[in-house]
Amino acid sequence: MGNEDTGLHLGGLNVVDNSIRTRFTRLLPDLAGSEHDLRYFKDKLVKVLLGLIMLVIITPFFLVLFQVAGTGLVQLFGTGPGQGLDFLFTFPGVGLEGGIRNAFVGTVELVVLASSVGVPLSVFGAVFISEYTRPGLIKELIEFASDVLAGIPSIVFGAFGFAFLVDFLHMGMGLVAGALTLAFMMIPTVLRTTQEALRSVPMSLREASLALGATKWSTTWNVTMRAAFPGMITGVLLAVGRIMGETAPLIFTAGNSLSVPTELVGSGSWVASMPYTIWAYISDPRNYLQEKAQGVALTLMIMVLAIDVIANLISRKVTRRLV
Amino acid sequence: MREETSRDLGRVCRRALLRVKSALSSLRNGDTPTRVDILGKWGLFIPAVASILIIVLILSFLWVESGPIFLDPNGGPGIITNPTWDPTHDIYGIATFIVGSLLCTGIAIGLAVPLGIGGAVFLSEFCPGPIRQTIRMIVEMMAAIPSIVYGLWAYLVLVPFISSTLAPALQTNPLTAWIPFFQGETNGLSLIAGGVILAIMLLPTVVTISNDALEAVPKSLREASLALGATGSETASRIVLSAALPGIGAAVVLSLGRAVGETMAVLMVTGNALQIPYTLFDPTYVMTSIITNQLGFAFVFPLWRSALFAVALILLLLSVCFTLTAKVLIKWGMKTRGYI
Repeated sequence: MGNEDTGLHLGGLNVVDNSIRTRFTRLLPDLAGSEHDLRYFKDKLVKVLLGLIMLVIITPFFLVLFQVAGTGLVQLFGTGPGQGLDFLFTFPGVGLEGGIRNAFVGTVELVVLASSVGVPLSVFGAVFISEYTRPGLIKELIEFASDVLAGIPSIVFGAFGFAFLVDFLHMGMGLVAGALTLAFMMIPTVLRTTQEALRSVPMSLREASLALGATKWSTTWNVTMRAAFPGMITGVLLAVGRIMGETAPLIFTAGNSLSVPTELVGSGSWVASMPYTIWAYISDPRNYLQEKAQGVALTLMIMVLAIDVIANLISRKVTRRLV
Repeated sequence: MREETSRDLGRVCRRALLRVKSALSSLRNGDTPTRVDILGKWGLFIPAVASILIIVLILSFLWVESGPIFLDPNGGPGIITNPTWDPTHDIYGIATFIVGSLLCTGIAIGLAVPLGIGGAVFLSEFCPGPIRQTIRMIVEMMAAIPSIVYGLWAYLVLVPFISSTLAPALQTNPLTAWIPFFQGETNGLSLIAGGVILAIMLLPTVVTISNDALEAVPKSLREASLALGATGSETASRIVLSAALPGIGAAVVLSLGRAVGETMAVLMVTGNALQIPYTLFDPTYVMTSIITNQLGFAFVFPLWRSALFAVALILLLLSVCFTLTAKVLIKWGMKTRGYI
């Protein structure tokens, strides 16, 4: 009897409790109920919050793109003086009202010269440490040096280029000094990506080549490096994209110029570059120069992003440097 | 006679060309075991030590160039704590720039690290497949945008926004108006502008490296946690994050290095005033900016120039420290977890 009483009693309570609970549940489906539901609500909340954070992270990309493209497209496709095709293919001229041919050509020359010095150095360096040495002190040292090199601020490279190349070696500012400074900056990226690419070449390829009687060098050149080629190209493109947008190393090593360089040393070799031109134009109070600066920025961004996308396409899985 | 000579000359030339060509092709193919193989070995050694050589050159040149200021009676190591920078009286204290750099970096890291780690967790744990590729591509593109373009955007958009919207909003709102950090007149060129643009530039670094570290965590750990009844977010925060801690630490340290060394964007928006900032809206001067602004005309004055190279030396030593710390963190991760 007592049991029944209790049961009835509890049942009565439960009826009330349940009706409150169902009403509450209908109002706030996730909050109501046991701790279990609360945990799942928290889980959802965290997911939504992290999604919002991701949104916040990528917003600046679009803000920058829209700001630069908004004014820059007028420069690239307009019909005024120094706009449209003239923007890339005429010199600045009087009052800098013309195009930016000096900067465009200068950047291309600097990058080409820097790559022709930096790429062989870093590719062959990577071949040496991954094919020709056993793991040991030399390998560790070179890897450490290239990691340190990757972390050095760009302005320190600029100051070093100024002290060593321009001043100590009496090169003077200009194309060669600027390109060499950029070449130093390329080394870590290309070296590390090439090393990764060489590491991912299966050992059996090398063994097959050696078993056929090929020498070590022949194997490396004809088999291993050929197999690692896509990875190497990715590294080179990433490095090119990086040095293309560097300003600080060029300020004291490359100088600036309103025309293209005509000689390799001396004042005729001073060369303009697109990042430097952006800085020079944006510091200028004249309004149309600020608009031109955004045009240059848009061109530079298109070039850099195109290189980045090509690098991504070549190797879907970009081997990223993790020290 | 002349014809004979020219024919001879042609033959000699052709023979020389052939010899060069065969030598080149034998170098490329390297099928003569002794000579070319050894040549390859030592020929490759030179490019390999190039990076070591460059590091040594950079260190020694900055050391030699900054020698005068450290040996001068007016200078010495005391310049690091001296806040007065006055080239006309040969006083070169660099404390202002060090404090400016530290504050800017502090703001940037404080904003970028929580956001970046949150984004990386979302990307590796909760993001649906097709969106993940797009977001990763956008983040990689953000990393590729040159710093001068970020600087341009900050100068044209962020600085006016701070002076016209953010500062008045914070200074008139009774909730925040009393806070001392928000005081002061501003034209937008300020500490906070530098910190925010730096944070935006650091985000892709933090996200990509942390994301790599999170994705290296074995799936079995996640599955075990989920099987015990933990929710997705509990697994992410308690299991995956702590398993990837060394990699995330490396991401933070590497982004610290980038923040301290960033030049152009910060130079354009911090206002470059020779003072230690007391509020978020005060202009400031960072270490990279002083080199960029003054090396161009200081190089004829030995002491002035040497003080600037001393700043560069400090930057270099800082970056070496950060790289070393990141290496130690990664080694720790390999040791305790076996993956990274």
